[in-house]
Amino acid sequence: MRPLRILIGTLGLDQHEVGAIAVARQLRDAGMEVVYLGRFNLPPAIVKAAVDEAVDVIGLSCHSWEYLYYLDELTGLLRARGLDIPIVLGGSVITGADARALAARGVAAAFGPTTGVEEIPEAIRRLVVARG
Amino acid sequence: MSERLTQSEIPLKPVYTPADVAGDYASRLGDPGAYPYTRGRRPAGGDGGGWIQHELSGEGSAARSSEQFRYLIAHGATGVDVIGDTPTMAWLDPDHPAARHAIGTQGVSVCHLGDYRELYAGLPLETITVSHSLPAPFAIAGLYLTARERGVDPARVRGSTIQVPFYCEDCSYASHMPFALRLRLAADSIEFAAREMPKFHAFLEDTYYISDGGLDAVEEMALGFVEIRYIVRELLRRGVPIDSFAPRIAILVNCRMDCFEEIAKIRATRRIFARMMRDEFGARDPRSLAVNVTSHTSGLTLTAQQPVNNIVRGAVQALTLALAGVQAIEISAFDEAFRTPSPEAHLIALRTQQTIQLETNVSQVADPLGGSYYVEALTDEIERRITELVARIETKGDPAALCDGGWFRTLFQNAMERYARQVRDGRLRKVGVNVHRMAEEDDTLLRGVAERKFEPCRERVEELGAMRRARDAARVRAALVEVRRVAAAKTGSLMAPLVAAFAAGATMGEITGVMRMGYGVPYDPLGHLEAPA
Repeated sequence: MRPLRILIGTLGLDQHEVGAIAVARQLRDAGMEVVYLGRFNLPPAIVKAAVDEAVDVIGLSCHSWEYLYYLDELTGLLRARGLDIPIVLGGSVITGADARALAARGVAAAFGPTTGVEEIPEAIRRLVVARG
Repeated sequence: MSERLTQSEIPLKPVYTPADVAGDYASRLGDPGAYPYTRGRRPAGGDGGGWIQHELSGEGSAARSSEQFRYLIAHGATGVDVIGDTPTMAWLDPDHPAARHAIGTQGVSVCHLGDYRELYAGLPLETITVSHSLPAPFAIAGLYLTARERGVDPARVRGSTIQVPFYCEDCSYASHMPFALRLRLAADSIEFAAREMPKFHAFLEDTYYISDGGLDAVEEMALGFVEIRYIVRELLRRGVPIDSFAPRIAILVNCRMDCFEEIAKIRATRRIFARMMRDEFGARDPRSLAVNVTSHTSGLTLTAQQPVNNIVRGAVQALTLALAGVQAIEISAFDEAFRTPSPEAHLIALRTQQTIQLETNVSQVADPLGGSYYVEALTDEIERRITELVARIETKGDPAALCDGGWFRTLFQNAMERYARQVRDGRLRKVGVNVHRMAEEDDTLLRGVAERKFEPCRERVEELGAMRRARDAARVRAALVEVRRVAAAKTGSLMAPLVAAFAAGATMGEITGVMRMGYGVPYDPLGHLEAPA
């Protein structure tokens, strides 16, 4: 079985990269392939990279509220292209209430600050397996 | 028994004795206000035992941020400390296509002179000190021009602005400018302020923000000194006399939870600075040797779990800073893990400072811990480690090349990873995170305040469009052409054309864009905007 490929990036002008780097390293250590997109991405660039790199999961690090406003654009672009790539969000600003609301907006999983970074690879693996 | 270590992993003994303290009083300590300033930059009693009390502010428009300042001042703040939102910190205008959802949510949105006028509205610029975490040349230009318009002599204006040419691209606030341009702007703006605003600290080394991703106290100060030394050398190379700018160098330090390590760090920093300035750079003015230390308590130490505990952390850290004897304190507010400070969090942080200053008596006596076997031994050890790391970095090569080559970036990333590992394996204990945890449904105290959100300030886009249309287009164009010409010439100060362009109504995004072009990089680093015709 080929390793899972995961895109990791941040949205808009969210400059905080600590979480994205930490999660990317954790995923690599868990044997996954990380396509590290870095900072300053808008939804069209994320969708393009996800397609070009044939990733299994789009992972976005959120340290600002920008994700709340980019999310619908991102899911809309994926839908318009007939792509069913799960979106996973992680970040310090995601509260428990946010995580519950995000599920209804098409987010496959959301990890807030109470989630340990080391828990994320296994959670993503389970998520991909569950989707078949 | 587990090994005793500070947070920087300096080994500790169970107790310290006179045998641990080396050297004589005069050469290593000196009285407060005397070389080598280990015990403080001012003579005992000279500063009334106090410090400037301010809280980091900035939210939404300049007008809304100005209201925040007035709220804090009305409750006793003695200074203003302002930070830009993420577009501003990226040197971009709020109508940049990537900025729309980030306007004003993590700081103030300021991009043209009119914004600065509103930001300082109602502030007594002759008396209050304004600290800026904003792109330095624009903060200086905005303050300078506003003061002049209001009939205030810029020479009387106090405050500071951070200079971040080395590490900004690698730990948070990318400006997308080549290193040479970043260094030039830092040196130009320091030179400009030394001449025009001699009471203003235009050379504020911000070791807080470079370290709050996970660097330890030793790395924090070593990287700070590498940057200070590089900028000082650049100014000396230009023929600027050391004593014309060194009195206005300040360091904005971080304060984590390891109380004595942070105190020792600050005392060691004053000593290293004094010796470096006197012996290496030949400063003679005593004010050039006694560095101004200002401080923020660490946001990284605050937790999303049980946010009310962050109030306690802020209080302990502020007490630590008061004991170390700093010139100003800012407490990262208890909701820091979630948002920029709410009015409630601002007030609690300010009241914490006031309580420490007015009720504990800790600042009545200068350097109250001086002479403690432990504090002096730790000060010596941290001094040794900082000095050694600075030397190690500088022998690796030209720090500018290390910067461009990503050497510091790797250091930052490793530190972040180390920090995450320390929290994960419990080596760094954090109440509510890896010890004394609480079920999410029980963790409700002050959570409602901490989790409250507000909308981006999108009306700024429309307002900025109207401002652009109302400007004297020919004057703006000519001013931008001049900025680009001077930038491309790679010589001469950029401050005069930058100030002139700002006065003409050009925005920070436009001026920065044409400076980038002068250095052969795209006007818009994110590739969305065309350069103005």
